[in-house]
Amino acid sequence: MATRLSLIQKIIAYGSLAALALFILFPVYFMAITSLKTVRDIYRLPSLLPVNPTLINYEQLIGTWKFLDAIRNSLIVASATTLVSVFISALAAYSLVRLRYKFRNWAGRLIMFSYLTPSSLLFIPLAVIVAQLGISNTHQGLIFVYLTFSAPLSTWLLMGYFRGIPVDYDEQAMVDGCTRLGAFFRVVLPLSVPGLIACSVFTFTGAWNELLLSLIFITDPALRTVPVAVSYLITGDTVRMGLIMAASIVSALPIMILYFIAQRFVVQGLGAGGVKA
Amino acid sequence: MAQSTSSRSLAGLKAPRFSLGKTDAALGMGLVAPVLICLMTLVVYPFIFAVYISFTDRTVGAQVVNFVGFDNFRYIFGTQGFQESVRNTLVMVFVLQSMKLVLGLGIASVLNQAIRGRTVFRGLTLLPWAMPAFVAYLLWKYMFDPTQAGAFNMILIDVFGTQLDFLSSRELAMPSVIIASFWRGFPFWVISFLAAMQNISPELYEAAAIDGASAWKRFRHITLPSIQHVILVVTLLSTIWTTNSFENVWLMTGGGPSNATMTFPVLAYYGLQTLRLGEASAVSVSMLPIFAILAFVVVNLLLKED
Repeated sequence: MATRLSLIQKIIAYGSLAALALFILFPVYFMAITSLKTVRDIYRLPSLLPVNPTLINYEQLIGTWKFLDAIRNSLIVASATTLVSVFISALAAYSLVRLRYKFRNWAGRLIMFSYLTPSSLLFIPLAVIVAQLGISNTHQGLIFVYLTFSAPLSTWLLMGYFRGIPVDYDEQAMVDGCTRLGAFFRVVLPLSVPGLIACSVFTFTGAWNELLLSLIFITDPALRTVPVAVSYLITGDTVRMGLIMAASIVSALPIMILYFIAQRFVVQGLGAGGVKA
Repeated sequence: MAQSTSSRSLAGLKAPRFSLGKTDAALGMGLVAPVLICLMTLVVYPFIFAVYISFTDRTVGAQVVNFVGFDNFRYIFGTQGFQESVRNTLVMVFVLQSMKLVLGLGIASVLNQAIRGRTVFRGLTLLPWAMPAFVAYLLWKYMFDPTQAGAFNMILIDVFGTQLDFLSSRELAMPSVIIASFWRGFPFWVISFLAAMQNISPELYEAAAIDGASAWKRFRHITLPSIQHVILVVTLLSTIWTTNSFENVWLMTGGGPSNATMTFPVLAYYGLQTLRLGEASAVSVSMLPIFAILAFVVVNLLLKED
C-alpha cells in the first residue's frame, strides 16, 4: 500500500506483530522442548529451556507404541481418500460447470448443503449405516465416510477453477477431434493443476487429521489412524506428556511440511471456497 | 501454453456453437453421479435417518423400535447436561467468534501495511492452522497442565509462587478452551481477510489520504465496506464449524469439570457411547434449526457471488 506509516504507527505495528509471533510460537516451542525431556525431568526440573535433551520419547513411540503402524494406516486412508475424492469431484465439477441438463442446479445446491452439514449431526446415523454395510472397523469404511467432507469441498473448489478456464478451450479441443471427455482430461484438467493441488492438500490433511469418525469406526488397535492412536496415549493422567508431545510432533510434521510447500495454492484455494478449519 | 495458441489462431473466427443435445445431458448426469451417490448415502440418507431416530426409542441392538414422538426431546431438554451444553456452546461460539472477528481484522490490517518482514509473518500466521487440530489441542492441554509441568503454571510459580487449575476449575476451564480454540482458528480469518484486503484498489486509500482521512476512517469507510461480503461468509462458515467443534473440548477437558465445558457435539458423542441412539440423535437434531438457517444464508451468499 502506498500510504506511509508514521513512527508511532510503526511501533504499534511491530509491537503487535511481535506479540502475535510470541503467541503463535511459544506453544510450538513448548511442545518441541517437552518432547525432548524424560518424564522425570518434566516434573522434577520444570523449565522453559531444554533440560538434558533426549530422544527417548521418540524411541519409545516407535518401539513400544508402534506408532509407525498408525502413520502407515493414516497414509493409506488419507491417500486413498484423496485419490478417490479428487477424481470423482473433478468429474462432478466439470459436469456442473460445463454441461447443461435437468437437475443441474439442484445437484449443485445439494453439494453445497452437504459441505455445510455438520458431522456432529451425521456421526450417529453413519455409525448405524456403516455397521449395516459391514464395513465398520475397516479402512475402506473410513475412506468411504471421509467422502462426506472431502467430495463437496473439492467439487466446490474445482468448480471455481474450471469456471476460470474459457469454454473456447474445450470447444477448440473438440474441433481438433477430442471428445468432450478428451477435452476435459487433456485441456481442462492440465490447466487446473493449482486447483487439483489445493484440493489434494485439503483432502489429505482433512483425512489425516480427522478424529471423531475414526474414533467411532475403528476399534481394532492395529487399524488405528494417527489422531486416534495419539488420543489413546492419554489415559487420564499426564505422565506421558513427553511421549504425547513427541507423537504430536511426528503426526503434525508431514502435514505442516505439505502445507508450507503448497502454501501458494492453499491460500488461493482458501479464497476460492472457504475451507473447513 | 499450447492450448492458448491454438485458440488464438481461431480468434478471428466465430466459435462454433455446439449443440448441447441428449448425449451431453447423459454425460453430465453420468459425471456428477458418483459424487451424488456418495452424498445421498453419506449425507442425505443419514441426515433423514438422524431426524427419524431422534423420534424413536432406538438403542444399539434393539429388536423393536418404537416411535415415541417428542419424548426424547422432552427428556433431554429437561436434563441439566443438555441445558448446560447449549449454554456453553452459545457462550463459546459467541466469545470465540467475536475475538476472531475483531483480532482477525486487526491482524490482517497490520499485515496489509507496507512493513518489513510481512511475508514471514504471513507464513507464521498459517502455522496454527496448518497444524492438525488434535495436535493443537493436546499441545494446549499441556500448556494448561495443573502441575508445575504446564507452561503457564511454570511461569506462575516462578513469578507469583502460585499455580492455577486451568482446565479443572469451573471458572477457568471454558476461558482456557476458548484461548486454545482461538489459537487454532484465527489464521483462517486473518488469511481470508488479508486476501480480500489485497484486492482493494490502492487508489482509494491514496485519495483518502490526500483528503486527510485518519487510519481509522480509512479502515471504517474503505476497508470494511470493501470486504464486507468476505467478512460475512467467513463469519458464517466459521460459526458452523465452531458450533460443531468436537476435538477442542473432547481432548482438553472431556466436557468437564462437571459439565463446565460440555458442548452439544461432545454430549452427543457421550450419548452414542451409552448406545441410546434416540436420545443422542435428539441432542444433535435439536441444533438443526440453527444450522439450517446458517447454511441457507451461506449457500445463497456463495451462489450470488458466482
